[in-house]
Amino acid sequence: MTDGSLGVVQGTLELLVLKTLDATGTLHGFAILEWIRDATDDVLLVEDGALYPALRRMEKRGWLESDWGVSEKGRRARYYRLTPAGSKALRREAERWERYVKAVAKLAPGEAGA
Amino acid sequence: MSGRGGPIRWLFRLGHRRPPPDDAADWEIEHHLAELADRLLEAGWEPEDAWREAERRFGDPGRYRSRMKRIERGRMAMRRRVAWGEFLLEGFAGVWRTARRYPGFTVAVILTLALGIGANAAMFGIVDRLLLRPPALVEAPDQVKRVVIRRPTRTTGELGWGATVTFPDFQDLQAHGGLEGVAAYGFPGERTVGSGEEASRIRTVVVTHQFFPLLGVEPVLGRFFGSDDDAIDAPPTVVLSHEYWRTAMGSDPGVLGGTLELGGHDYTIIGVAPAGFTGVELSRVDAWLPLEATQALQTGSSYWRESRSWWWIRLVARLRDGVSVAVAEEEATGLHRNGRREMIEEERYSAEARIALTPLIAAQGPEPSAEARVARWLTGVSLIVLLVACANVANLLLARGARQRREVAVRLSLGVSRGRLVGQRVIEAIVLALAGGAAALALARWGGSVVRQTLLPGVFFPDAAVNGRVVLVTGALSLLAGVVAGLGPALRSTRTDLAEELSEARRGSSGRRSRARDLLTVAQAAMSVVLLVGAGLFIQSLQELRGRDLGLDVERVVLAGLEFRGNLENAEETDLYMRAAERVKALPVVEAAAATAVPFQFALGVPIRVPGLDSIPELPGGGPYWNPVGPGYFETVGLRVEQGRGIEATDGENDLRVVVVNRTMADTLWPGRDALGECVYIGPRTEECTTVVGVVENAARSGFADLDEPALSFYVPLAQVSQPAQGLYVRGRPGTDAETVAAAVAPLLRSFAPEIRYASAESLWKILEPQARSWTLGATMFTIFGLLALVVAAIGLYSVLAFDVARRTRELGIRTALGAEKRRLLGNVVLEGVRLVALGVAVGLVAAYVAAPYAEGLLYEVDPRDPATLAAVAAVLGAVAVAASLVPGLRATRVDPMVALRTE
Repeated sequence: MTDGSLGVVQGTLELLVLKTLDATGTLHGFAILEWIRDATDDVLLVEDGALYPALRRMEKRGWLESDWGVSEKGRRARYYRLTPAGSKALRREAERWERYVKAVAKLAPGEAGA
Repeated sequence: MSGRGGPIRWLFRLGHRRPPPDDAADWEIEHHLAELADRLLEAGWEPEDAWREAERRFGDPGRYRSRMKRIERGRMAMRRRVAWGEFLLEGFAGVWRTARRYPGFTVAVILTLALGIGANAAMFGIVDRLLLRPPALVEAPDQVKRVVIRRPTRTTGELGWGATVTFPDFQDLQAHGGLEGVAAYGFPGERTVGSGEEASRIRTVVVTHQFFPLLGVEPVLGRFFGSDDDAIDAPPTVVLSHEYWRTAMGSDPGVLGGTLELGGHDYTIIGVAPAGFTGVELSRVDAWLPLEATQALQTGSSYWRESRSWWWIRLVARLRDGVSVAVAEEEATGLHRNGRREMIEEERYSAEARIALTPLIAAQGPEPSAEARVARWLTGVSLIVLLVACANVANLLLARGARQRREVAVRLSLGVSRGRLVGQRVIEAIVLALAGGAAALALARWGGSVVRQTLLPGVFFPDAAVNGRVVLVTGALSLLAGVVAGLGPALRSTRTDLAEELSEARRGSSGRRSRARDLLTVAQAAMSVVLLVGAGLFIQSLQELRGRDLGLDVERVVLAGLEFRGNLENAEETDLYMRAAERVKALPVVEAAAATAVPFQFALGVPIRVPGLDSIPELPGGGPYWNPVGPGYFETVGLRVEQGRGIEATDGENDLRVVVVNRTMADTLWPGRDALGECVYIGPRTEECTTVVGVVENAARSGFADLDEPALSFYVPLAQVSQPAQGLYVRGRPGTDAETVAAAVAPLLRSFAPEIRYASAESLWKILEPQARSWTLGATMFTIFGLLALVVAAIGLYSVLAFDVARRTRELGIRTALGAEKRRLLGNVVLEGVRLVALGVAVGLVAAYVAAPYAEGLLYEVDPRDPATLAAVAAVLGAVAVAASLVPGLRATRVDPMVALRTE
């Protein structure tokens, strides 16, 4: 892991994917990862492959649906987008994350930069 | 966004380029790695380094691939489960809708199936006990075998089976190394408990002390017999059955140590057997007694122990682990022949006799009882009834399917897969069948107990008519019935020649009548024919049996027996019987009574000499049989005196020695001459002549078949012999039922003298009835099933014709409008019905003809191809066909042309 980047907890990876697809619409796996890296300034690093089991799980839960298509470069790729259930899940998970962060901030001393 | 994957697919025009499910993960990983490699190449990496770096950043593809696949598999499984659940729910919803819209149809289907399945459930309960399950509570029943002897029979020389052995034979087998043990048990007997007015009878079986341990049973209370209890001078003990303990003693645990007074002796109660245990046989047992101790107590001499000609016990044995049946049989045969070596050398016993070890379930052995054989057939019969019921239900389903043609066509055109529709229909049929099965259980409970009580009273059923196994079998049958009845119509009603169906439906007439429905009706009629023919043949067998001339008036005569307290002299016993005869004659229902020393089913052979004959011929029926009887005997039992006179009161102790011979004896010993006045020397060492004073017709001694085999039989006055009387025959007045007479006689006899401990009375028919049981069972069950099948088939025919008439409303309306005669319309419909049934009858008769030879062994002196029966059944079916066709026929004549032409 490079300096300044954190390992990502599984649950937060799913939240990130949900947020990504909510913002972008339909993406394939690689694009989702790129987007997350861009949006978080490469701070949050994930071993690439870890994305895919997470995508499968979310699809099994009904948060995502997928279909095969052809990418910009002409390769066959699997595209994902949110389902209505996924949108609801996004809101739920985001709320939970907020509460978690606030709780940790209360307990942990200092702030960024110290 | 509409539909799943719609815009994506549209966007990228991928069409159907999807990976096979196993490769999906690979494709996705491949794509990711390719994109990653591209980025690295653009950033200036060398191609091989770029790829390696891409893989490094990705992480171990193998690990992720397997995780993806695992999750995917779980997802697929979940989707399948959900799809199944939806499918089933849709099915249930369909059934509910159908039930509400067509309640009559639903009830008809459920009822029909309930009848069909119920018949099978009831039969299964019976067959299970008779044929399938070993006797209750026996441990490892496969290792327990019955010991039977195979030897040539005296009369025909063919090898016959005998399960009864002598006591010395039993002792011979005790030395067997391959058997863990051998035990002996006697035939069930009735013994009197208590005495006088409150006396009752119980069924007892004598057993040796090895019996209970060999079978692996544990007592519920107390203990079983030990070797000290089973000794000649042991204090008498008794083990009660659970049933008897429950009903006669209220399950009181305090009975241990108490006594039971049996036949004048006190037996100490030492234990109670577990519930449902009846030993090795299927009949009810109230108590078990130790064999040696009881025999020693009841009989003075020891012939039962030493004689090799007194066949009276049966044996069971348990094989040692690892010993094969063949090896054990060899050893047993050796021991048996060794024990009888002397008799074999003297040619008094066959050298070819072998011991065989047969399965514990009697019905699987070499000589299944007649009930068991009939039960086997009845299983087949009840399955036929189920088929008929399924055919009917299929018919009903087809009719309904035809009515819903348009709806089905629309659904198919909307894209619902045919497989799904068929599946829905089959599920509906299964649900209806299960409902029928539930109703069937109620039917089976009632029907099963009725059959058991009336037709199989000799068998003890430990479970209720509906137990766990019956429920399982009923469930399985219901499922099967649902599929069998539902699949055909489901397939038929979802056929894809829609255009034709739709246009036909619009035109209001639909070409041909469904051939499938006609075929089903024909099949039902055929099956009903087969069953009814069976019923007719069995009923005839019964009538043949009952009509057999046994000499004795079986229908009107009652046989009574007395039990005495203490030891009386022979003359005292005879005197009591004579007095009993007088007392009984005073009863208003009694016409006559007479005593005998040899009651029905007993026989006493005595050697005789006739002057002028070197030897007395040996007849197949045996003999000469000696019958000391009281005055008025022949009038009482209904034997016709053909010449001379019968035994009278004047034939006293000090009068001329007289004898009455039977017809066979007269013809055999004095052919062509008048037997009256002839001289007979009765007994091996007499010098005194007994004069023949009468010739009487032949009489049966114990069973229906007796009169087929002639035997020498003669009657002497009781007063002139020292043998005690042992039975009292009572003749009821004409018109009185023999059972009523028996019920009147028994209590009178029990109380008319202080020396009487107990008295019982039974009509002769009741004594003979067990011999007729298999035919009674067959006749009753075939009739019930046959009528059931007939009713179901009639309903089926009615529904087919009714539907047909409804379908042809338009056509009938036109014909009526054009002036067709009502009679012709009616005749038209009825003719259709009769035609279908006639076809079925033809098929059924052919089937009955073909199956006839197999049935021969089950019938009694009846030709299985008896034309009268076949004709009668055909006539019945014809009449039913006409009756079932009348209502639809009448409806056809009442079609209002105006209404008909307007409807579609």
